[in-house]
Amino acid sequence: MAIIEIERLAKSYRVYQKKEGLLASVGGLFRRQHREVQAVRDIDLHVEAGEFVAFLGPNGAGKTTTLKLLSGVITPTRGMARVMGHVPWERSNAYRRRFALVMGQKNQLWWDLPAQESFRLHQQIYGIEAAEFERVRDELTSLLDVRSLLGQPVRELSLGERMKMELIAALLHSPEVLFLDEPTIGLDVIAQHNIQTFLRHYQETRGITILLTSHYMKDVAALCRRVVIIARGRIVYDGSLSGIIDQFSGHKVVTLVFPTEVVPTGLERFGEVISHQAPRVKLKVDRNGIGELLSAILAEHTIEDVSVEDPPLEEVIAEVFSSIAKEPAPV
Amino acid sequence: MNSELPTRYEIRTERASARSAPSRYGAVFLMFARNSLVRDMTFRANFIIEVISALSWMSMYLGFYILIFEYTPSIGAGTGWGKYQFFAFLATTLFVNSIVEAFFMPNTEELSELIRSGGLDFALLKPIDTQFLVSLQRVDWSSLANFLFAACLLGYSLLKIGHVPGWPQLLLYPLYVGCGVGMLYSLMITLAATSIWLGRNQTLYDFWFYITNFSRYPREIYSGTYGTPLNIAFTYILPVLLVVNVPAWLMVRPLNAEEWSLAVYALVATAACLALSRWVFGRALLSYRSASS
Amino acid sequence: MAAAAIHASPSKLKTWWTILRICIEERLVYRGDFALGTLMRFLPLVTQVFLWSAVFAGTKQQEIAGYSYRDFVAYYLLTNVARAFSSMPGLATGIARQVRGGEIKKFLIQPVDMVGFLLLSRVAHKLVYYGVALAPFALVFYLCRGFFNGWPDAATMTAFVASLLMGFLIGFYMEALMGMLGFWMLEVSSLLFVFILFTFFFSGHMFPIDMLSGWLGWFFRQMPFQYLAYFPAAIFLGKISGPDLAWGLAVEFAWLIALIIACRTAFHYGVKRYAGYGG
Repeated sequence: MAIIEIERLAKSYRVYQKKEGLLASVGGLFRRQHREVQAVRDIDLHVEAGEFVAFLGPNGAGKTTTLKLLSGVITPTRGMARVMGHVPWERSNAYRRRFALVMGQKNQLWWDLPAQESFRLHQQIYGIEAAEFERVRDELTSLLDVRSLLGQPVRELSLGERMKMELIAALLHSPEVLFLDEPTIGLDVIAQHNIQTFLRHYQETRGITILLTSHYMKDVAALCRRVVIIARGRIVYDGSLSGIIDQFSGHKVVTLVFPTEVVPTGLERFGEVISHQAPRVKLKVDRNGIGELLSAILAEHTIEDVSVEDPPLEEVIAEVFSSIAKEPAPV
Repeated sequence: MNSELPTRYEIRTERASARSAPSRYGAVFLMFARNSLVRDMTFRANFIIEVISALSWMSMYLGFYILIFEYTPSIGAGTGWGKYQFFAFLATTLFVNSIVEAFFMPNTEELSELIRSGGLDFALLKPIDTQFLVSLQRVDWSSLANFLFAACLLGYSLLKIGHVPGWPQLLLYPLYVGCGVGMLYSLMITLAATSIWLGRNQTLYDFWFYITNFSRYPREIYSGTYGTPLNIAFTYILPVLLVVNVPAWLMVRPLNAEEWSLAVYALVATAACLALSRWVFGRALLSYRSASS
Repeated sequence: MAAAAIHASPSKLKTWWTILRICIEERLVYRGDFALGTLMRFLPLVTQVFLWSAVFAGTKQQEIAGYSYRDFVAYYLLTNVARAFSSMPGLATGIARQVRGGEIKKFLIQPVDMVGFLLLSRVAHKLVYYGVALAPFALVFYLCRGFFNGWPDAATMTAFVASLLMGFLIGFYMEALMGMLGFWMLEVSSLLFVFILFTFFFSGHMFPIDMLSGWLGWFFRQMPFQYLAYFPAAIFLGKISGPDLAWGLAVEFAWLIALIIACRTAFHYGVKRYAGYGG
């Protein structure tokens, strides 16, 4: 029994299409053209308790829409989803006490007040016992190292500090399921790292289930064992991070180091030369038959060192995204 | 997935809370009021300006009516709305409006912004009634300046009239001011909720202002060929004429049979308005699209 | 019509025409707003008509301050026309916000004169507004024709139209000037509030300002606010005629010139100050 079950979930919007030109605008007063945008198309997904799942996908792929559907913020066009047995868009208070959604691009803390005032408000809204509230707050603030900032108005905090406060606000009621939408967006490397470390620690100790969308592969690589790639509203991949390379990348990178500064010519026969910094040459080669290729190279040339690597993950994913973008739009 | 397996994730009923729901909502509201006050006091200069502005609008209006009463002894012939009766009416308008402006106006104005920016997401996540949350999360304390002004104006007017309302009237007065607030709030939240469907809706606030404009005058002025249908529509269908009139009658004169029956009707109308607005709000939330930042 | 720098070079004209067209298109996007807004403009008028009818019923006189009941209704109808020209919703706050938010830079970088641009965008707004509002206006005036004593003569009519057009410009430059205070003050909302209060009560929108006697009435009649509502309505009703009318129009024109100069000067020094800050 999965903690999150999604079956044939779909969401489409009607968007008003504005036409160019003055006459068309006048015409728009009387009749409007609408276009159906399918943000999520019949998604199926099961997530087990304690999983940390990443949603990857190009902008507008439907990641955020899926998280919003699972949070009950929007209602689906059709399909079913259950989180811990609740249908999210029924918006029952019982469900809303058991999960949290953090959005990196929106903030919910009172801008002009210190974060602790917003936390107290959360305590009242979620009906958290005073002792429990203080324990959790103190634990989270010391984990994230923001204890001294509790009394400062939120507008005076840095982006990273504000994000930490947003996280604390979302975790005060100890949710069992956590949805994170771009939690590290716009943060510097250190702040990103801090939040990653915190999330990993928190997820490991609590064993809660987390769904995360992010544009930073570092986030994903550091946190998630399972990756779901969504593109054009559909799931195109569901598996491990390393599996992406196996499935989507047909090549490996072979680095050859020659004993002298003089690099032999004619290496193009073996594969595409992607960099040439004598005495080091990088070749992009087909992943099938890599063994024969290596023995052929070794038979012809004297090689001091050789290494075979997978291409960088970012590259593979960028390739996946752009190949999806090139496909004709599904109807 | 086998449907015969026992489900591990059963829908839990509300976690047994140490406190009952009403007291929790009360505590949350107090927190809203407190946080708003803390915020207002951070921008003290702004707060003072707002108080002054509210009071000067009021004085301007009062000045206008003083000017009118320079030219006439009463509004309408034989209606009993002499200068000080009308000022008591004005005070009642002020009570109702200052409460609406202090507690509901900043929030409903904010609501369409929340809808536009997608900020409503957060309200929908909270385990508390969404309508309660978005209707009351900010309190505009400066609007209560007019409440005090109204109290003075009402006291002064009653002194001038020389009429002392009886105990039942004094007790019913706050109840009917409350009904008036309830009716105006219903109208307001209904209009604000429609911005989920219609998008930007500056004119909806104008609409609110214009409609409530009808409530600012004694019911008797809407008479004659055109006035009577308006009077009936704004009494029975969209009961804005009951908002101020009923409590104002209670203060300035004994009610006749028709007025008593309208007073009873006002209670029913308030309940109906609140129920209807709640229904519309719920329907609108289903269509919420949640803009991405 | 604008005193803004519209030189007659063809390319410049083309630029302005493009701006005007884009502004009109932008306005047309909010269709729902528009239709509702036009209808609702007349709602407050209804309560005012009933109020004055009740006031006349209360008093035993035929006239109040020289206005009969019919005059009052006609007056309010006419102030609605005048306000349709002179009201500039959101102009001052918009400018102040652009100044504070740094959006104003756009105008400093692009070869477009800001005051001219804003004026055109208002012209576009008004044109679209009249396009949509003409029918309801005509209907209301036709239904209420009994409150008027027929059309005034051609000279009065010309003066009325002139006062409306000048009212539009005075309204624009007054609001723009208010918004430009944002160059010097961080928080203009309090001043804007006083300004809105004045336009509401001193323009004659609420009541004919000649109802006021004594020093207060005198003070009201010295302010430029009257041109936003009272003055055109009074011309149409024949309350101001002959040499008074000519003099009144001359004074209005003088106010307009003064406001244009003030607005231009404020913008000039405001931009200088802004650039000086390097904001």
